[in-house]
Amino acid sequence: MFKKFDDKENVGNVNIAKSSVLKGIRSQILDQFHHVESYLDQILPKKEPLKIVKCVLYFPSHEHIELLCSQSGEILFFRQRDGPLFPTLKLLHKYPFILPHMQVDKGAIRFVLSGANIMCPGLTSPGARMTNVDKDQIVAIMAEGKQHALAIGQTKMSTEEIVTKNKGVGVDNIHFLNDGLWLMKTVK
Amino acid sequence: MAEVAPPKAFLEYSGPVKGVKYPLQVLYCGDCGVPVEYCENYPNYEKCKAWLEKNMPSEFEKLKVDKGEGEEGSAESSKDLAEGEEKKKRQTRGGKAMMKTKKKVEPQGIKMWTQTRGKKKKVTIVVGLASYEIDLKDASKFFAGRFSCGSSVSGDDEIVIQGDVKDDLFDILPEKWKIIDEDDIDDCGEKK
Repeated sequence: MFKKFDDKENVGNVNIAKSSVLKGIRSQILDQFHHVESYLDQILPKKEPLKIVKCVLYFPSHEHIELLCSQSGEILFFRQRDGPLFPTLKLLHKYPFILPHMQVDKGAIRFVLSGANIMCPGLTSPGARMTNVDKDQIVAIMAEGKQHALAIGQTKMSTEEIVTKNKGVGVDNIHFLNDGLWLMKTVK
Repeated sequence: MAEVAPPKAFLEYSGPVKGVKYPLQVLYCGDCGVPVEYCENYPNYEKCKAWLEKNMPSEFEKLKVDKGEGEEGSAESSKDLAEGEEKKKRQTRGGKAMMKTKKKVEPQGIKMWTQTRGKKKKVTIVVGLASYEIDLKDASKFFAGRFSCGSSVSGDDEIVIQGDVKDDLFDILPEKWKIIDEDDIDDCGEKK
């Protein structure tokens, strides 16, 4: 999604969220992610203003994205209009437990790092492991023998389907290491 | 990878690990910007290693130890080797197998000109600040405040300051941004 993303071209204006919006986002985070209750104030302090950056993507399709940034300009979450919130990899590295993990095997790493979607065989082979999740769940892509996440994806099938079909795209690659969003510097 | 693995236990989706303090601190490579363990998947692995050796000797040692253990399993290492070679072949073919990490621009020195506006007024043009990773907008604001004059960003890497402030810039630039050396600043005289 962010393969061709550039902070000069795609970034629009920056707004500060109203407190009601912030409240909505906080409750959305609680809804969407598990185990975050005790860390929510660390991730998204109640008192601090939250910046919302509007972005337009032209590739692969015309899309409107909102980035949620902390006061210091660190990008925390992004979402598509009113869609689900995705954490950024930088945030996920700090709090790896907020998303269920999907582990791909060694061979898949370099493809994922160049932005490929995760194919089912890469999730079912001996080096890989999965968390049992439904379709359209946001997951963290981990890798065999590595400690940190290398991508964030959204499942295209439920885990059972991945195992039985074992063909085609299992998880959509949304955000990966060194893509445009990762390279984006802090927002002013 | 055609064979289907025997069904194995799913990963448990568990919460924070007890006894671990969050947020975790992740070590990012200074060269390519990814967590250190992923450096090997990028084209400039050698550079990353050099960076790691220089900045985090302890981590570098760890990396070496890991490698050593891996090589003991001889069958596996040869397979890895073959894989590595294949990888290289793929790279030279020049497809888009791997996104290149953004090239860092080497500091190129700063150039200054003056230009005449009207009959007796001058502006100073400063080029090259961006290659030092200085935010142009911030810099222009700083100049405006310091010289109490107008200052604007007028190009990709160009700031126009109203008035002839060349002489002051020689002192102020190195003072404000420590990475700039006075010798890097070049006075190119008058433009046009």
